[in-house]
Amino acid sequence: MSFLTVDRLNQVYTDVYTNEHTVAIDDVSFTIPAGEFVSLIGPSGCGKTTVLNIVAGFVEATGGAVQLEGVPVAGPGPDRGVVFQDFALFPWKTVLANVAFGLKMNGVGKAERQATAQEMIDLVGLSGFERKFPHELSGGMRQRAAVARVLATEPSIMLMDEPFASVDAQTRRVLQQEVLRIWDLRRTTVLFVTHDVDEAVFMSDRVIVLSTRPSQVQADIRIPIERPRSWTDMHTNEDFVSIRRELMGMLGVEGAEVAP
Amino acid sequence: MTMTHKIRTRARVESAAWFLSPFVVLLAAWLVAIPALDVSPRTFPSAPAVWSALVDQTAAGELIPHVLSSLGRVFLGAGIAVAVGVPAGLLMGMSAALSTFFSPLLRFSVALAGIAWIPLATLWLGYGNGAVVFVVFNAVFFAIVYNSMLGVRQTGTSLLRAARSLGASRWQMFWEVYLPGALPNIVTGLRVGLGFAWRGLIAAEIIATSTGLGYTLFLARQYYETDVIILMMILIGVLWLVMDRLLLAPFERRTIQRWSGERKARA
Ligand SMILES: Nc1ncnc2c1ncn2[C@@H]1O[C@H](COP(=O)(O)OP(=O)(O)O)[C@@H](O)[C@H]1O
Ligand SMILES: [Mg+2]
Repeated sequence: MSFLTVDRLNQVYTDVYTNEHTVAIDDVSFTIPAGEFVSLIGPSGCGKTTVLNIVAGFVEATGGAVQLEGVPVAGPGPDRGVVFQDFALFPWKTVLANVAFGLKMNGVGKAERQATAQEMIDLVGLSGFERKFPHELSGGMRQRAAVARVLATEPSIMLMDEPFASVDAQTRRVLQQEVLRIWDLRRTTVLFVTHDVDEAVFMSDRVIVLSTRPSQVQADIRIPIERPRSWTDMHTNEDFVSIRRELMGMLGVEGAEVAP
Repeated sequence: MTMTHKIRTRARVESAAWFLSPFVVLLAAWLVAIPALDVSPRTFPSAPAVWSALVDQTAAGELIPHVLSSLGRVFLGAGIAVAVGVPAGLLMGMSAALSTFFSPLLRFSVALAGIAWIPLATLWLGYGNGAVVFVVFNAVFFAIVYNSMLGVRQTGTSLLRAARSLGASRWQMFWEVYLPGALPNIVTGLRVGLGFAWRGLIAAEIIATSTGLGYTLFLARQYYETDVIILMMILIGVLWLVMDRLLLAPFERRTIQRWSGERKARA
């Protein structure tokens, strides 16, 4: 059963001042079954963020439709949990209050939401940092807190837009493995946007490739690599190496070597 | 006392000393200059003369009532301005159309806030407390509304999106996101507004009442009491600083600085 359906999506941006039209997305369709981890990759500016923002309900598409469990998406809601590239943690709330925020908004009592938030904080490995404010945390810890905040409301699908782009390379690897570990416990459906081929292949069950703007779906590739996955043995994995090479070719990054 | 406690206390004492140092230098210069240059008391009073004016006025029981009536007017006017201005500014900021529409008008009004309204205030409310409180209110109000609105407009898009996608209603957005998000600007607005308020207060007291520091300041001019004039000026400055240090600064420390590690309100 398809869980998320993105049907013939089209997005034209109109500049308010010059009245110029930019066709960001020409015609994009794909479906995601429940429990799958799907990455959306493509060159910078091809409309990945636009697709995610439409699914999240932040942007209203100029054409096409998005359905979640058969229901058309209209506006943002807690059924779609969004992890932002800039973390988007509330600076005036502690880690605990940030993680409990969604539950509070949805009328969950104080004791219950704090217990759930604590559980999520433990899950993402932030125990002991409950009373800290976001500015006291490292980039990687903030991203963990952002993931915990989304998990707390048990969304039907998690939407992540280049969530590791603003942390250093070392931390990025750790976080990628961490998110997979957490994902493995709950198997929430995930739509993951990235421009990093390695990341997409490492994380996903499927990788959807968008062409340059105005974008269409260029390829839809299944990643048969067994889980749990770890970076330590990834570069010797035949599937990883060959899929990676294929994607690099598609994105015009010929002759690229596997990063150590 | 813990180690960090000790360090923090020392830092406080040090910063207070730095804060006071220019005043100490000024006082020393004043003490030396008046006798050295043989300045007449009608031109400028000596420091000891101002000190004895303070002692005399306090002993006569006149000073405290004047201070209290001025302070009362500032608190009442500013209090009403905050209570009305913060929600008004936040609501305006929540709508792009409203904030675009009101923005020029508010910037226009910030320049006029306070003193320029004294003639109308006395026409509407007569001479007395009402007119003075209105002028203070007015001085703070426009600065608060404008800065609250600005604060909402400056709250990051992703924070607003995050809150909405986590299920916040409009009402919850107001309390949980817009208000705390705009707080740095609200504090800036309050600072700017209170500055206008003290100036407005002095001017309004001169014209509209027979109590308060502004009134006393101006009355002293008729008797060439430069010592009283300077005393009132010092008191007004001190009250403003005390208000800032005792009310605004601790509030900032407990909110904005704790949340951000930044040391200053947003301009
Ligand atoms: N709000 C907007 N207004 C106008 N143009 C936009 C807007 N958002 C994105 N675009 C344009 O749409 C195209 C796709 O952008 P985006 O979805 O951010 O791509 P990606 O995330 O793949 O880099 C780009 O050319 C971008 O400049
Ligand atoms: Mg993007």
